[in-house]
Amino acid sequence: MRPSRKILIGVVLWTGAISGLHFRLNVDWSALGNDYLAENLRKLHVAYIPVTCHLTCPVTDYISRRSQSGNIFLPRMFQGFPEIKEALISNKMQAGFMVAPMAIALRAQGVPIRIVYLGHRYGSAVVVRKDGPVQTFPDLRGRTIAVPSRFSDERLLVFRAMKHFAVKPEEIRMVEMAPPDVAGALAVGAIDAFSMGEPYPSQAEMGGYGKVLFLAREYWPDYISCVLVVRQDVIDQRPEVVQELVDGIARSGLWLEQGRPYREHAADFVGRFYYRQDPALLRWALTNPLDRVMYTPLSPFKQDFDTIRDLMIETGVLDRAIEFEEYVDTRFAEQARSQAAWSYEPGSPQ
Amino acid sequence: MKKFSWLPPTIFVAILVVAWHIAAARQAVPIIPGPWAVLQGIGELARKGLLVKYVVASVFRVTWGYLLAVATAIPFGLFLGWRRRAEMALNPALQVLRPISPLAWIPIAILWFGVGDLAAIFLIFLASFLPLTMSAMNAVRNIPAIYLQAGSNFGLSERQLMWKVLYPAVLPQLLVGLRLALGIAWMVVVAAEMIAVNSGLGFLIIDSRNAGNRYDLVVAGMVLIGAIGLLLDTGMRSLERLRSLRWGYGTD
Repeated sequence: MRPSRKILIGVVLWTGAISGLHFRLNVDWSALGNDYLAENLRKLHVAYIPVTCHLTCPVTDYISRRSQSGNIFLPRMFQGFPEIKEALISNKMQAGFMVAPMAIALRAQGVPIRIVYLGHRYGSAVVVRKDGPVQTFPDLRGRTIAVPSRFSDERLLVFRAMKHFAVKPEEIRMVEMAPPDVAGALAVGAIDAFSMGEPYPSQAEMGGYGKVLFLAREYWPDYISCVLVVRQDVIDQRPEVVQELVDGIARSGLWLEQGRPYREHAADFVGRFYYRQDPALLRWALTNPLDRVMYTPLSPFKQDFDTIRDLMIETGVLDRAIEFEEYVDTRFAEQARSQAAWSYEPGSPQ
Repeated sequence: MKKFSWLPPTIFVAILVVAWHIAAARQAVPIIPGPWAVLQGIGELARKGLLVKYVVASVFRVTWGYLLAVATAIPFGLFLGWRRRAEMALNPALQVLRPISPLAWIPIAILWFGVGDLAAIFLIFLASFLPLTMSAMNAVRNIPAIYLQAGSNFGLSERQLMWKVLYPAVLPQLLVGLRLALGIAWMVVVAAEMIAVNSGLGFLIIDSRNAGNRYDLVVAGMVLIGAIGLLLDTGMRSLERLRSLRWGYGTD
């Protein structure tokens, strides 16, 4: 046989073999098949990232799969907010969890999405090195603090604390950093503090090098970090599917608030099957103490969002006073109020 | 002497590993893992079945992105090399596109192809397409004019000239270009997988970052990427050594 023919046959065999293996091992056929169903049968793709603010998403998926009605939507784990934003814009995802100011900014820029529900309350903290030079907030003068994004409530939280301590914004250097990197950066001294959502404060605490300087609620009662957004076209054309999604999230929130065994069980299955994080880390974040992160009430309230919007304008990440009704649709949250927690016992067989 | 040609590289790698071990052991805060922890990390991935899954996913994406680029870029590059006018018309545009890193295309790739294999394959395709086009084009241009003149003197038609003179003449240079492009494709797969795919070695790295203090798996991902890159390069080199392709090198 001629060598060029041999090479060609080799390439074809190789491509066939590797494609077959990939389709068998890595492709989620149910999610792929969903896109070819009739539109009224299609499930929503819901984007999340592995942080505790988005915990209700995997919890809903896990429990609903074990209920009689089956799963409600197709969750999809992302690694960062910019990718979620792009997937939403291009309609590859129909819903997703993201930091509240980013959702407001996107809507203000004309992206057709609406906030329908919250991810959680509280659950963010400012963390410093345990034996480092920063022991009080004013010690941060002239030092560096990391925040997840310019469009994050964690950044706005630092500004609230600045006001409280009469520290000027230019006195603290703020850098944007991917959440997974901050605990390591703090450990080696690349930053002096970070303001992040869980489980990253817990990670620094568990590692023994970080200490919580303050929790979000100390300077911001009713603090919100992440919200659930849905594309406007889905809200208009298939409100019943959006309602089902919000109901499911609401039931998971109530389920998580039933006590320690529920939270420990969630830490276990979410850590192992969804976030691929050590369940001990999530357990720390969810139970240390129990109200470190709260999953009720998750209805969006105007006054909370007005606070966020005004702080955004004040700190230069929003250029107009967009109204609450323009970027939030409260009807799904109102309907979901009659929901009860999932009847799913913690410790049920997996 | 040839018998022990494996010895110097092995010794060098061993020195690197020992230096790594010492440096890891001497850190003030134990964050960067040593070689042993990384090896255990690889073992853990293998036990969970993730090792095979992730390697397959990465190799799958590189295979498709790279082969699509080979299938389109080489005819395109040969054409440009053969037709001076086409080259003069298109080359400036290609030179503008060439320095744009494939990573800069990530947002566009997500908007066009969403999240999944297609976006990653598109990025790998982009990364290998232009280097392959350039090397095919240059390969044609570097053919000594006398080959073509001799061919036409023998009365070959343009089509015959392409198959009988041009194709065999460019093959050795093309192989070097293919090898370099495969290296680039393999480098880009990691970056491509850091966007929203949920498998592959690039995903392993970003996923381990998210998993808290699992820098052993981050470095395990790096080691695996390096090792597979070495295998791919060795495979391409063995193609170069095929007898029928080797004539272009003249020596030995």
